[in-house]
Amino acid sequence: MRGRLQLSGYAWSIGAAAVATLAGVAMQARFDVVNIAMVYLLAVVIVALRYSRGAAIATAILSIAAFDYLFVSPRGTFSVQDLQYLLTFAIMLAVALIVSRLVESVHRQAAAQASLAIEAETERIRSALLASISHDLRTPLAIMAGASSSLAESGDRLDPAERHALAASVFRQARDLSEQVAKVLQMTRLETGAMRIERDWTSLGEIVESVLARLRERLASHRVIIELPDDLPLVRVDATLVEQALGNLLENCAKHTPPDTVVRVRAQRRPDDVVVIVEDYAGGLSDADFARLFAKFHHGTAEGVGGGVGLGLAICRAIVRVHEGQAWAERIPGGGTAFRFTLPLEAAPAMPQETAAG
Amino acid sequence: MSNARATVLVVEDEPEIRRFLRAALGVEGYRVVESATGRRGCIDAGTHKPDLAIVDLALPDLDGVDVIRRIREWSPMPIIVLSARIQERAKIEALDAGADDYVTKPFGVGELLARVRAALRHAVRPASGVSRLCFGDAMIDLEHRRASRAGEDVHLTPIEFRLLATLARHAGMVVTHRELLTQVWGPPHAADTHYLRIYMKQLRDKLERDPVRPAHLVTETGIGYRLVTDE
Repeated sequence: MRGRLQLSGYAWSIGAAAVATLAGVAMQARFDVVNIAMVYLLAVVIVALRYSRGAAIATAILSIAAFDYLFVSPRGTFSVQDLQYLLTFAIMLAVALIVSRLVESVHRQAAAQASLAIEAETERIRSALLASISHDLRTPLAIMAGASSSLAESGDRLDPAERHALAASVFRQARDLSEQVAKVLQMTRLETGAMRIERDWTSLGEIVESVLARLRERLASHRVIIELPDDLPLVRVDATLVEQALGNLLENCAKHTPPDTVVRVRAQRRPDDVVVIVEDYAGGLSDADFARLFAKFHHGTAEGVGGGVGLGLAICRAIVRVHEGQAWAERIPGGGTAFRFTLPLEAAPAMPQETAAG
Repeated sequence: MSNARATVLVVEDEPEIRRFLRAALGVEGYRVVESATGRRGCIDAGTHKPDLAIVDLALPDLDGVDVIRRIREWSPMPIIVLSARIQERAKIEALDAGADDYVTKPFGVGELLARVRAALRHAVRPASGVSRLCFGDAMIDLEHRRASRAGEDVHLTPIEFRLLATLARHAGMVVTHRELLTQVWGPPHAADTHYLRIYMKQLRDKLERDPVRPAHLVTETGIGYRLVTDE
């Protein structure tokens, strides 16, 4: 991209010098040679303002050459009779240098300011993330400490049902906590680029299957409908990561919609990619919550609404992004949310034909 | 069958984890031998001749994968690996080095005990000894190379049958992509995972009650497949 921009800068040098020369030829009958020099100077300034220093210098040199050859006597040669034109040439070159230097320093300042803004934003996200994480971690820890200490200190005085309930709660909270920690770790690795993705041919059907198995308890109170076309092509992705992306979306739907509502998982083949869609049909969120949820998904910020939900969506988005796909969310008219992400399709791998005889 | 006095070797450096493993395995009637280091584990595996080993992958002295390799040099005893979630690669390495199954930390004891039972069942019967296998509506006759679902014959292609038979030989346990591909298509195809995706779908379509949510031909994402039979 940058290379192309620089090349086009030099193209503009040639163009600007050519235009100035045409203008000079048109002017020479009625205007003084000094004014023609001014036209060349204008060309140099314009290129210096818009393109690189190299392009500005190139314009100056081309302009000097053309001006000298066509308009400074003796015409048709590069020699100079009147030595004061040498000063004109020097000034053209100097203007090219000074203007492009000014432009460069303005650009540098703007870039510095932008990176400061990004740093501030990153810092803001990081502290919001830390705040939400510590909340999300502390709650299960508090429950585990309380339940397990009750068991340790007065277990023998509790009736068996209560004992069992407390122990089960420690187990459940430990599982959730472990999920949270894994998510934080994952987000960090995704954000710092430390995540190595291992692509392999994968079936979306199997990914859906294993997400449903992993989240069986959490989705138990919802009606999950799976609609995958039978001829869905294989995708070359990191199955573990995509499984997580899809799982995070499903968890999010389960968390934000009332029990017994429908969550639908669909996939559509398009010419260059596959779209995976997770929809719920319950408008259980207030408009403000909704806006926040969308912002998190669209901008990938990781503030938690509670229960690490924001983190889940941000991770989903980051995972889709490392696969060169897109993730977005839409509001479904009549209530509900559609989360969609794409995974690019690659040419299907060769598959040997097996003779039907068996 | 009864494994009431089966001996289980636990190679794990974290004493608190050994404590609950000892309790859970003890309650089930297993005799437990504990080793806190990899080297100790290799020695105990030789002296105590356990029926099964549970090996943590993150040991202070030896790599868990090395422990598995050393045990495999002389013993076919089932080995179950304990691994942390971020050790995806190590998990696959351990399975390819000869471990039979894995449990990811943190795990519930129920999950571990189910794996232990499946692994011991697998060890007790000779590798080719089981000729009939039932799961869900499906019945597989390995000896006569026949399969049926809900009493009706199902036609399986030779490759489908080989794939199913490989999973059946490790019934209840995970089989890695590499191992399945090597066994069914041969070593040159060890990385052609897409073969598995396609043939597993065909098997599910033919044998599962609900192929979209298979209960028996189960995917272990990023690792392999598991045939879950009725215990």
